[in-house]
Amino acid sequence: MKPIVISPAALLLFLALLLAVPALAEEVRISAAASLTEVIKELVGTYQQSHPADRLLATFASSGALAKQIVAGAPADIYIAANPQWMDYLQQQGLIAAGSEQILLRNRLVFVGPPDSNINSLEALRSLPLIAIASPKSAPVGEYAEQAMTAAGIYPQLLAGHKIIFAKDARQALLYAERGEVDGAFVYHTDALLARRVKPLFVVPQELYPQVVYPAALTQQGADKLAAQRFLRYLSGNAARQVFQNYGFIFR
Amino acid sequence: MLELAPADLQALWLSARVASVATLLALPIGFVIAWLLVFSRVPCKPLLDGLVNLPLVLPPVVVGYLLLLLLGRQSLLGGLLNSFGIQLIFTWKGAVLACVVIGLPLMVRSIRLGMEQIDPQLLHAARTLGAGWFDTLWAVVLPLSIPALITGGTLCFARSLGEFGATIIIAGNLPGVTQTIPLAIYDYTNNPGGEAGALSLCLLSIGLSYLVLMLNELIMRRLGRAKRA
Repeated sequence: MKPIVISPAALLLFLALLLAVPALAEEVRISAAASLTEVIKELVGTYQQSHPADRLLATFASSGALAKQIVAGAPADIYIAANPQWMDYLQQQGLIAAGSEQILLRNRLVFVGPPDSNINSLEALRSLPLIAIASPKSAPVGEYAEQAMTAAGIYPQLLAGHKIIFAKDARQALLYAERGEVDGAFVYHTDALLARRVKPLFVVPQELYPQVVYPAALTQQGADKLAAQRFLRYLSGNAARQVFQNYGFIFR
Repeated sequence: MLELAPADLQALWLSARVASVATLLALPIGFVIAWLLVFSRVPCKPLLDGLVNLPLVLPPVVVGYLLLLLLGRQSLLGGLLNSFGIQLIFTWKGAVLACVVIGLPLMVRSIRLGMEQIDPQLLHAARTLGAGWFDTLWAVVLPLSIPALITGGTLCFARSLGEFGATIIIAGNLPGVTQTIPLAIYDYTNNPGGEAGALSLCLLSIGLSYLVLMLNELIMRRLGRAKRA
């Protein structure tokens, strides 16, 4: 059999083709907090229909993971965080286009549990054997839950009694509640709307925890991209408002 | 350079404990499964082989989720264990279980490789001298598998130290109770200003893993020398 000879030149050409990135002028990359996954996907879909020339690529992860990716040089034109801390972090690094930051959305903290539960206040949580919250150190929603329970004066007791389970994030806390592994969980109102086997038992009073805001901004890379500016304007406009509200967000 | 908070030391201690217990549990289980796969004539060997190796190819998150379904309060098995007062979910024992399931394929693969290299003439000799299957297992297969057991144990221990995906689902992330090093690092990296803490724990886990691998190397070299002597 004749041996197959691959010339180094052909190999180089092949590698070059693999590495080549098609130059698309109107590509917009969006890094959005994980709790926005469903709604941003829907908005991107709608937007593409009216703006077929713009190519939108959205990626979703925790706000912190996205911020660190951006610091490390990951391509991102629009950044939407689930809390102001990570936006501030990027601003301090000089990676956010000046003046483009705006509060896009708000969210609320609720307590979910089985529909037949009679729990209707923070004080009543003392009677529950097991409650799930997102880990306060890694997820803001867990931090808010911790602050609300501390303000209500029940947190140290619950923690000492091993009645609190720290989940990875709000969605995992919701999973525990839905599976019946815990008797209830603190999640965002928008997460609670996705649940099928549990329902919101009460809304946590706003005076007990800081406002849950979602800041959005153009990054330094996206500052001069017209397509990125267009999409950010669309997100803060009236057409997007209805979609955000359908998913349970409070628009601005 | 190393800034360790009390919670980090707890995470270190918990990681070491979980990995040790998981390895000690996985050793006999792995040995029996490897023996079944290499020497026995059980039917459906490929099925058993596939089942053991599944956690190697499945995302750990899936393994964790399946364990949660299997052992949760609402499940049959979980309910049964609960009635005996055994709670696995949201405890360090749950983390151990996750590590056993995830580490078992590595354990079985190592032991199997070792067993396959045993000279079949030794086994024949044992049989002609009147040894039953258990005697052969105890006096020939087990001693000759010791290097493979050590390697399998090392791999399982090292893998357990790094287990994240399955652990965080079935054990949760409670500092001092179920928060192992990878979970603590995750907490740090999701916190603005957590860099120093994350980096310290990263260095710690690199050091720990190196220590384990070097220990394995040392023991293997000793064993090799003893064999030649």
